Amino acid sequence: MSLDLLPGRVVGIVGETGCGKSTLGHSIPRLLPEPPAKVKAGKIIFQGTDLLRLPKWRMPGIRGTGIGMIFQEPINSLNPAFRVGDQIAESVRIRKLRERGLMPGIKPEVKGFDYSKRELPKASDVVTGPFIPPNVSQTLKARGVPMTKEIHQEVLDFLRLVRINDPERIVSLFPHELSGGMRQRIMIAMALSGKPALLIADEPTSALDVTIQAQVLTLMKELMEEVRTSILFISHDLGVIAEMADELGVMYAGHLVEFGPVAEIFGSPRHPYTKALLRSIPNKYKDEGVLPSLSGSVPNLSHLPEGCTFHPRCPLARDVCKHKPEPPLAILPPGPQALLHKSACYFPEEVPSMP
Amino acid sequence: MSTPTLPASKAVRAGSTTPARPRGAFRANVRLILRILAANPLTLVGFILVVIVSVTAFLIVAVPAVSTLLIGRAVSILPYPALDTAAFPANQAPSFAHLLGTDQAGTDVLSNVMAALPTDLGIGFSVAGVSLIIGGLLGLVAGFWDTPGTLSSVASIGILRITDIFLSFPTLVLALAITAAWGRGEVQSELAVIVTWWPFYVRLTRGEVLSIKVQPYVIAARAAGVSETTILFRHVVRNLLEPLAVYFSLDVGTVIVTYSTISYVGVGVPPSVPEWGNLMYQYQDLLLTQPWTVLSVTAAIFITVLAFSLLGDGLRDILDPRSRRIMATTTVASHSGEGT
Amino acid sequence: MGRSWSDLVVFILKRLVQLIPVLLGVIIITFFFTHIAVSNPCAIWSGPKASPSTIEACIRNNHFNDPLPVQFYYYIEGLLSGNWGVDPLFHLPVLPYLLTTFPETLELVLTATVMMIFVGIPLGVVAAASNGRIADHLVRIFYLSGWATPTYIAGVILAIGLGPLLGVTGGDFSTTSAPVPQITHMSVLDAIIALNPSATGDAIVHLLLPALALAFLNMGIATRMTRSSMLEILPLDFVKTAKMKGLGDFWVLYKHALRNALITTTTVLGVTAGTMVSGTVVIESIFKWPGIGLYAYDAITGYDFAGTIGVVIFFAIVVVVANMISDILYGILDPRVAWR
Repeated sequence: MSLDLLPGRVVGIVGETGCGKSTLGHSIPRLLPEPPAKVKAGKIIFQGTDLLRLPKWRMPGIRGTGIGMIFQEPINSLNPAFRVGDQIAESVRIRKLRERGLMPGIKPEVKGFDYSKRELPKASDVVTGPFIPPNVSQTLKARGVPMTKEIHQEVLDFLRLVRINDPERIVSLFPHELSGGMRQRIMIAMALSGKPALLIADEPTSALDVTIQAQVLTLMKELMEEVRTSILFISHDLGVIAEMADELGVMYAGHLVEFGPVAEIFGSPRHPYTKALLRSIPNKYKDEGVLPSLSGSVPNLSHLPEGCTFHPRCPLARDVCKHKPEPPLAILPPGPQALLHKSACYFPEEVPSMP
Repeated sequence: MSTPTLPASKAVRAGSTTPARPRGAFRANVRLILRILAANPLTLVGFILVVIVSVTAFLIVAVPAVSTLLIGRAVSILPYPALDTAAFPANQAPSFAHLLGTDQAGTDVLSNVMAALPTDLGIGFSVAGVSLIIGGLLGLVAGFWDTPGTLSSVASIGILRITDIFLSFPTLVLALAITAAWGRGEVQSELAVIVTWWPFYVRLTRGEVLSIKVQPYVIAARAAGVSETTILFRHVVRNLLEPLAVYFSLDVGTVIVTYSTISYVGVGVPPSVPEWGNLMYQYQDLLLTQPWTVLSVTAAIFITVLAFSLLGDGLRDILDPRSRRIMATTTVASHSGEGT
Repeated sequence: MGRSWSDLVVFILKRLVQLIPVLLGVIIITFFFTHIAVSNPCAIWSGPKASPSTIEACIRNNHFNDPLPVQFYYYIEGLLSGNWGVDPLFHLPVLPYLLTTFPETLELVLTATVMMIFVGIPLGVVAAASNGRIADHLVRIFYLSGWATPTYIAGVILAIGLGPLLGVTGGDFSTTSAPVPQITHMSVLDAIIALNPSATGDAIVHLLLPALALAFLNMGIATRMTRSSMLEILPLDFVKTAKMKGLGDFWVLYKHALRNALITTTTVLGVTAGTMVSGTVVIESIFKWPGIGLYAYDAITGYDFAGTIGVVIFFAIVVVVANMISDILYGILDPRVAWR
């Protein structure tokens, strides 16, 4: 599969459970355990480097300031043994060391971040750094080593950025003392505090209550305006994707089956799977009786059907689909639609009239 | 709700996971166990070693007994009679006649080490077995009937307190004190080890029972009006068997180590009985001059105990559904990785 | 929150109060086991050639003709007033002897614990990080050998096999070349207090092998525990979060993952305390280490009731205190746990 992420754009990835969305998200920063996971072929080009060809020991330099990530379960994604302030501080310290060339790794794209609109927090008196003799501390400062106080200030900044009103109190709490929504805000703050060029959000709201989900989504949407960074937004929820993404990719059984601008895909889907997916969203306003649905289930990724992987469930399927190899993700013939709308179907023109 | 999972597909998937026929499930289980064994050669080694060691021990005891019955005289599979003092020249290095050499008393080392096998293995099984029964029952009582305010909870608290007291004795010291007091002998020292051994099973069983008791399936069964006895046997006891089996198989080796230690310090079986701790005590000063003596005993204990720990470790992988699932998925993942 | 240092103090006080019934139980059990098994040890104590009047006096002094509960009353009375009885051979009071030998043993046990923590735990991390690869298999072989080698065999091999390399013959590790005043009764500490570098070096050399023999099994236990809890921790999301901050593998493993894995590993401290204390009895008699373990051996085999009970009390205190320390560490490491 092929996917381009442009600077400052939000790309959504949608698909059923088990279709490989999360694997995609985890494979970009090479988080899958190797072995057993192994990317057999392909390239992940990030800022001109193929991450798959990078030796393993250089990957930490990419993470944090290059690629950040938000995980699905805020319960598990924060370390239960450390105070949240310290966990964010760790991320801030890494970025600062890299900014000053004191630690190997990608330097953050500072220009993408704009705090000028936000009111700068006042110096806090809760800061008590470890005791360092004055001359040592001055040498460190001269070398550009970030000081505890400086880092603490930034931690408070980032907590305010994710709309936490009393950061001074929150920093000294442990994850288990916070609600799910709060934890996810902290996770977002932590990922942003590395100022990454690419942020991967792997179902960031799926594990939250509906009301909290709405709050976190609003927050993320606002942050996208403020912090212009590329985002890969993975979700199984079409409604969420419609809100957040500029472009949308639809995944089925490990393959990208359709890709294009969000409005385009919602308006005129050109893959039978996308169409079925869209139709299964209940309409809030009218009672449609039984929701139309798709028979069958996602195939096991280790035993994919021959031909087009979707053919056993596709109402448009015919012999070609069973015998010819997997259709490529092809740019659709220019029509009234978009410039860049791709579909992996042999008969995209028949989709609008699909039963 | 805005979850776009396809409802019918979900239903179909749920339908497709109806339990397979028992026979197919059994065959699938056997296949899974074989695959786990193949993926974890150490477990297989442990299993084979346990079989070899047990069969040898059985033959050493059974062959003389059976041959006495059949042909009227005892035939032993030992090369020479064990601890037969001054039968051979002393301190001979290993040779074809004496595969592990002879010791300072002129007896064949291999025969001595082999003759000790049934003793030590028998003690391992019997001590661990009796402790399992005593400790398992007490632990079940203490774990299952601990509702506060009932008469049975008093009993369970009593069991726990006594267990705590026994657990704060260092095992070996208490066993030593008891054997010293009761005199030197196989039965006395076995009883002494059992006295110190059962509390571990109480703690293990009670912990397992407490965690099984709050499992959703137990609560569901109780809500459905299933009687307490049925819950006890069908759910609790049934789910206890696997952790206890794992612990027991690890424990046989531990008992052998402890028991031979008691003999080594001189309060276990009498010196006339071939036993590894006894042999070690007799041989220890020969380590630098006739190393084959000490090393033979060391190897015998090492292999036996290692066999049981490897088997126990492997059993845990096979029986613990969680680690079993992880094993299965990783094997599937690695297979599919090769396929694509 | 509810986790302050005052909670910790209350917690420790509570645990110390709970120690009293446990100790009482330990004393009762040991007292009755020894006194029922051998109702009149005076004949043994006084030797075969003793006159009936000596034995008569011995029985009278020790109240052996009184019913057991009365004897027990006399014993407890003495215990509380600091008179823990006298040993039958030299008629020396037990308590001062225990107090001078205990630090020697403590030194050994603490050194072994340090070895266990600083060797056993990192090995477990290495194994988990390279799960399924060569390093993992090597570490598993290491901890299984620790498991399968009885402490006395490790002791014999180190004392008699390696001792001569350090210039120690006959396995006697008690004497150092340069005697220093005994202030703390810990050989290394005394040598340091005496500001005697050569004696310090000598004391450390003498300490290392017995401590290693004592630690071998427990290192294995710590490695095994660390490995299995690390394997549970490593797939969790917060480890990925730590990686995604840009932290190197070392910090991810040893700061983020190990910190959480240690929560379960600390519970092992309480378990190993029991095996270590048991181990001292064997190790000290092999290495001739003048600690409480050696004394325990002599007391138990010499029918020295006062000494036996005294030793058991000390050992029980060590086990209970070790469990308390592991509970405190558990609370410090896991912020979700309240000290109860």
